[in-house]
Amino acid sequence: MPLLLCLLALLPMTATAGGLWGDEPPLRVQVTQPFVEWRTGPAAGYPVFHASEQGEWLRLLQRRTRWIRVRDEQGREGWVSVADIAGTRDATGQPVALPVPDFSEFRNRRLEAGLMMGEFDGAAVTAAYGGYWMTRNLAAELWLSQVLGSASEIRMINANLVHQAFPHWRVSPYFTLGIGHLWIDPKATLAEPEQRDNMVGHAGIGVRAYVTDRYFIRAEVKDYKVFTDRETNEEATEWKIGLSIFF
Amino acid sequence: MENRTEYLFLTPALLAGLLALPVTAVASDDERPLIEPDVTPVPVTEDRIDTENFEVGGFAGFLTIEDFESSWLVGAKLTYHLSEAFFFEAGVGVAEAGETSFETLAGNVEVLTDSEREYRFYNLNLGYNLLPGEAFPTEGLAFNTNFYLIGGAGATDFAGDTRFTLNAGAGYQVLLTDDIAVHLELRQHFYRIDVLGDEKTAISTQASAGLSVFF
Repeated sequence: MPLLLCLLALLPMTATAGGLWGDEPPLRVQVTQPFVEWRTGPAAGYPVFHASEQGEWLRLLQRRTRWIRVRDEQGREGWVSVADIAGTRDATGQPVALPVPDFSEFRNRRLEAGLMMGEFDGAAVTAAYGGYWMTRNLAAELWLSQVLGSASEIRMINANLVHQAFPHWRVSPYFTLGIGHLWIDPKATLAEPEQRDNMVGHAGIGVRAYVTDRYFIRAEVKDYKVFTDRETNEEATEWKIGLSIFF
Repeated sequence: MENRTEYLFLTPALLAGLLALPVTAVASDDERPLIEPDVTPVPVTEDRIDTENFEVGGFAGFLTIEDFESSWLVGAKLTYHLSEAFFFEAGVGVAEAGETSFETLAGNVEVLTDSEREYRFYNLNLGYNLLPGEAFPTEGLAFNTNFYLIGGAGATDFAGDTRFTLNAGAGYQVLLTDDIAVHLELRQHFYRIDVLGDEKTAISTQASAGLSVFF
């Protein structure tokens, strides 16, 4: 019963706040350029169907990639490029600041994530990773990989440190060192399928190349040492290339 | 003399200034809008704008599994739009393989167990919106559309093993609203399989329709 009372007490509050998610105050901008073009969809390939002239107020509804959906005072809706919105003024009279991510933001990134593909000891490897930059030179990464060969399937989890000596270079080489664990699952058609799992250690070199916006290409070669309980350890070489995004 | 000159010039200037004062005061009154807006001005910053670059959806259709008949396919996918042209897509799907012609003709032969006939796949893909455009079903109705190419790699869990799988295809997206889309897709999945004798590249064909929501 007290719980019900509490809920009832909260009800008018949520009602005035405009629902649980709240009604954000509308974001409005005023066109200061001679005109801005409206498109029917969020891409340059969609047709221009309207234009707002200088002095008109636009309400910003949502953003998709480099486009913003707007509504004007007559209730019409359309898509305007972020570059055009960045040339307007907001309700406080200030120019709208919508920076397009560029190389300087890439240099100061904190988080990155990506997908890479390549070869691990002659078999196809698919990997996904996430990384956190502690300084501009040093990052910690976590990797999940799947290796699909003709004789076995290998799943791997790896943690590694990455050091890049030249963070201010557009194409920046790095060195990496890490450890992980792998699970080997031989193919069912083999004579004596035996599952096993091992610790691994690895070292590698690679390079990142900033492309545009929030994206960069990454390529690397790693040498894995698989610690077995037999007399000799195994070694495997891996190369992969992929696309990453940073924040 | 100098004092007199100053007096002559400064007094009218001062008077003019005093006269102008109320005028400017009136002018600033006029600048106030007739209807006061009931919202406080909000500065526009990047994080205040609702950004919707993700798309999540489900699909259903047919999967023609090489040597193992056609079957129903259901799946789900998550898409991230990198730019107006490029997007990343992660997808999963399940289907149930049928019988080979050999099994059908021979009668009581089973090449695979029931659990081995479960066909499951995942893939990571890169797509490209080749032809954005519009479709006009009726005179007063227009939908935004996209014809896109898509391809990538992943794995297929089928016939007792997990197999590296490449896929490529094309799709047609119709945006019912700015946030809801219908997809029609045709894709080929390529993987190596040795269940029926020699190892060969098998091709499975996926024809599916899906619904997705942007968030």
